[in-house]
Amino acid sequence: MRSSRVLALTFLLVPLTAPAVTVSTPQGPSEVFARGDLLDVVALLRLAGAEVQFAPAAGSYNAAAAGHEVQFTPGGSLAVVDGKLTPLPGPLRLVDGHVVGSLATVGALLGPFGWTANGSAAAPELARVGGTEQVELSVVRAPTGTTLVLRGTRQRPRVTTLPGLVMLLFPEPVALARPVQPAGEVLAGELDGATLTVRLAAGIEVASSYPLEDPPRFVLRLAKSEPAAPLVRPKGGPLVVLDPGHGGEDLGARGPAGESEKAVTLAVAQATAARLQAAGVTVRLTRDGDEMVALTDRTALANRLQAAVFLSIHVNASPARGAHGAETYYMSVDASDPQAAQAAARENASAAPDTVQLILWDLAHVANLNSSARLARAVQERLNALQGIRDRGIRQAPFVVLTGATMPSALVEVGFLSNAQEASRLLTSDTQEQVAGAMAEAILEFLRATMPGPAGTSAPSP
Amino acid sequence: MKALRPIVATLAVVVVLVTVVALSRRRAAPPPTAIPGETPAPTQVPGKLVLFFPGNDAMLHQEGREVPELPEGNPMRVRLVVEELVAGSREGYAPALPWAAAVQAVFLDRRGNAYIDLSTPPADAVSGTDGELAVIYGTVNSVVANCPGVRRVQLLLGGRQVTTLGHLDLSRPLPPNPNLVAR
Repeated sequence: MRSSRVLALTFLLVPLTAPAVTVSTPQGPSEVFARGDLLDVVALLRLAGAEVQFAPAAGSYNAAAAGHEVQFTPGGSLAVVDGKLTPLPGPLRLVDGHVVGSLATVGALLGPFGWTANGSAAAPELARVGGTEQVELSVVRAPTGTTLVLRGTRQRPRVTTLPGLVMLLFPEPVALARPVQPAGEVLAGELDGATLTVRLAAGIEVASSYPLEDPPRFVLRLAKSEPAAPLVRPKGGPLVVLDPGHGGEDLGARGPAGESEKAVTLAVAQATAARLQAAGVTVRLTRDGDEMVALTDRTALANRLQAAVFLSIHVNASPARGAHGAETYYMSVDASDPQAAQAAARENASAAPDTVQLILWDLAHVANLNSSARLARAVQERLNALQGIRDRGIRQAPFVVLTGATMPSALVEVGFLSNAQEASRLLTSDTQEQVAGAMAEAILEFLRATMPGPAGTSAPSP
Repeated sequence: MKALRPIVATLAVVVVLVTVVALSRRRAAPPPTAIPGETPAPTQVPGKLVLFFPGNDAMLHQEGREVPELPEGNPMRVRLVVEELVAGSREGYAPALPWAAAVQAVFLDRRGNAYIDLSTPPADAVSGTDGELAVIYGTVNSVVANCPGVRRVQLLLGGRQVTTLGHLDLSRPLPPNPNLVAR
């Protein structure tokens, strides 16, 4: 009688039991909620010893253990790992009150706590990472070039290059699964704690480096160290790079009748270039026609040409329809922080950044802030002198196109397409010529004041 | 007395099982707890927000706003700030957030960074440098002004990190920009 009651209660409770998979852990098997290939993330983090809390106001979960902290939210594909925004392999979902994710996503969330998720979604295995990462360096040759592949690490080493060698500085010490064997471009490799030094054959350098996932590895692309042929800076006078904003599919701001910013910026840049060339200045445009050019490629061109001035030309728009006038920006001081410097150097240098490059870049960038402010002021003052243009002053903001510039650089907004009256003026060739004349004068004035020797002082007025 | 034993035993089993079920459900929907990095309750005047909207001079203008209740926790404050920015200016300024931006998630870290995931703007909703500046610094300045301990803000859109809306660098947390504020 008694057993039948207990049996009945058991049946009553069966519908409340969620679908589950058995997880293998060092402490023994454990069951967690699962739906298809998606596993209960919170339960698995708790099995790995993390304390997981939910902040309803933020809609996010916080997992903490061993001095590490991971924040994530259902519906998102991002996590904040120890204060750093990190993409997850897949999205997190909320299913029956459980936050679930793929095995790879679980692995990404467990990684900071020193755990891995292996096996399959049907039979997941949690394991503690056995201390030091075992890395293996190999040389991979392909028709597109040679790469060094460092397998077995999720770390992001800092890459420093010197003539004939490359140094990888890992945040945490690693161990070599096997000694580095000489092969082609690689002459030798030596590990000292968290620093792996690889000697390269003469004339070989690291062109770029980046991490890859599935499986986790770090890749260094090698290249011959000859300089890029076509982009040689002309000897003699100063070189100015003008950047007509937007282009191609990127129309930029739109005028009252759908006119596009990209057409105005190109016309103004071409007119400015013509005036500068007439004054003996060599000019390159980041685009000569209606084409899409990445923001970082625009700055990279100026850096590779070692331009004396980089000026990005734009037309503004504002949600405040009455806004009108011209304004000139130079780089925000905040963007001169080391993180931005590294990112900029990485994006713009023809080779991977080394320490010396970074230091030089940083020094040059800080020095360039003053010169950039002077350039911005010269441009703004000349525009102010034009009739009908309101002075909106010089401002600072973190523009992508200015971040990596290694020379005095500024971004000018010559007016507002969102203001019907101003748009109608900016769309005329007369106004565009006037604006171009003002900018050419400003650049020549800047070159005369800053360029030593005949190149600067002899630059004639247009 | 002996006749009651099976009933008592059954009741005990029921209580234990119900407790287990209740606890397991509680895990699935965790209790409200503060997340690390959250700062103590604000010391400024309760019930008042400071918001930043673009004016016709395209500078950001400060607008004070009484609110019925000022949440103590920064995550709720971030949501309130964004809701009030979306609601728009009451003093005639232009919209800082020109779409019905909803806060999908808020992350706060111990370094004073707030990561705010906003719903994706429709195509062409944000145009021009000053349009971008209004979105970015209208939000960054407003959040930092109202959330004690928050020093920088990174905007995420639609659950994804975005590099730029076309001009400005959104790849990292940004501090407030005072030189864009009207004096």
